[in-house]
Amino acid sequence: MTELIKTPRTGETLPVKAGKRTNPLANVFDELVRFAQSRSLFMLHYCTGCGAIELPPSMTSRFDMERLGIQPMVSPRQADILLVTGYVSVKTLKRIILTYEQMGSPKYVIGICSCTVNGGMYWQSYATAKKLNDYMPVDIYIAGCMPRPEAVIAGLRELMENIRQGKADSWKDYYRHYDHYLGHQQRLFGETWQTPTDVIAEARHYGLFGPDTLGTHTALLEQHQRPLEALEMKVDIPELMARR
Amino acid sequence: MTKDLSTWLDTLLDELQGIEVRRKSSRRIRVDVQPDALPALLELLRGRASYVHLSAISCVDWIEENEFELVYHVWSYEIGSLVSAHTRIARDPGVYISVYDIYTPAAFFERDIHEMFGVFFEGSPDMSKFILTEWDGPPPMRKDFDSEAWVNAHFDFQDYQPDWLKEIEAKGGGVAVRPDEQRFSRRDVDAS
Ligand code: SF4
Repeated sequence: MTELIKTPRTGETLPVKAGKRTNPLANVFDELVRFAQSRSLFMLHYCTGCGAIELPPSMTSRFDMERLGIQPMVSPRQADILLVTGYVSVKTLKRIILTYEQMGSPKYVIGICSCTVNGGMYWQSYATAKKLNDYMPVDIYIAGCMPRPEAVIAGLRELMENIRQGKADSWKDYYRHYDHYLGHQQRLFGETWQTPTDVIAEARHYGLFGPDTLGTHTALLEQHQRPLEALEMKVDIPELMARR
Repeated sequence: MTKDLSTWLDTLLDELQGIEVRRKSSRRIRVDVQPDALPALLELLRGRASYVHLSAISCVDWIEENEFELVYHVWSYEIGSLVSAHTRIARDPGVYISVYDIYTPAAFFERDIHEMFGVFFEGSPDMSKFILTEWDGPPPMRKDFDSEAWVNAHFDFQDYQPDWLKEIEAKGGGVAVRPDEQRFSRRDVDAS
């Protein structure tokens, strides 16, 4: 965990600051970068619930997301947007957090469907998580049960606009307030919950380490941290084993 | 052939002691049977009357009567009819015999019921967790499990944000045509 900090650095990383810089040329450059960013987005669609059914028409010839510069991507490492489409079961939520933490910054989360906002029609179900933004920062919610492709496209355009204006930076919040998000995760998964990603070291790397990054929950995390092991491969079907 | 089989089934059901047969329709038969006679009934249905397909086992929690009701749905391709065998077992301790030796697919249904209701099936090959692998609360489909209380203890809800709606409506979004402006369904009424 401390490896990243110990390695000697050639220069201090500049803290990423929101707002305008003093040099007008730098401003123009920033704006250009943000414009380019907003026009080329790769989207990882994590199809958890029924809302996912509206994505194929949004992506393909009928509504054609690609004309906005948004393309589907299959791996979290190469994606900008994490699209959570529909109800999130507690089991799935773990996988979503793993996926989210693997994505490189800047990253944006879109919650599609009422179910990601507050549980939707599963509000009293023991199996589904209610508020997605308790567990990770969400940039945009697209409400509806389920939202039509027009709404999905409108939401994506809104995100593009936010990126262009430099307003879509809620991913930074995960590093600045990691303790808060981790607390909610631990409330649901128990205090032994851990992910393979070292979020605290990443926060330092991005220059986003703040007073709220660490807290009581991260202390619990360190207390329970086990070294990561490779998954055990096990085939436990007697008939299969006998045939070998 | 089919005719023979169904007449044969009728005689079979008539001969068995302590069961109640109700014909719901030409293709559905409901049989109520004592728990100790159920495996024998299934054995007969499968072996002698061509009911080879176990479609499902379902479970009902009758908490006031302190009983679990187990329903075995078996289907015959030859007769083309479904027999539902109902039986009731005591809710406490909630232990019953597996029918895995008669119908192999029963293993999955029994494992599922064990997970959701906590009924233990003796002789079932695997009673370990099935779908709720990461759940350590009580069996959630039992009537005494208060799902809403569990939800309130583990989750927060989003606050109502009327400002969001205003924002959306200012941009021309939200409800475009209000219900009171939609007169299509009332066209006849208005005309008269
Ligand atoms: S909001 Fe409706 S459509 Fe979307 S996941 Fe929930 S139930 Fe399904």
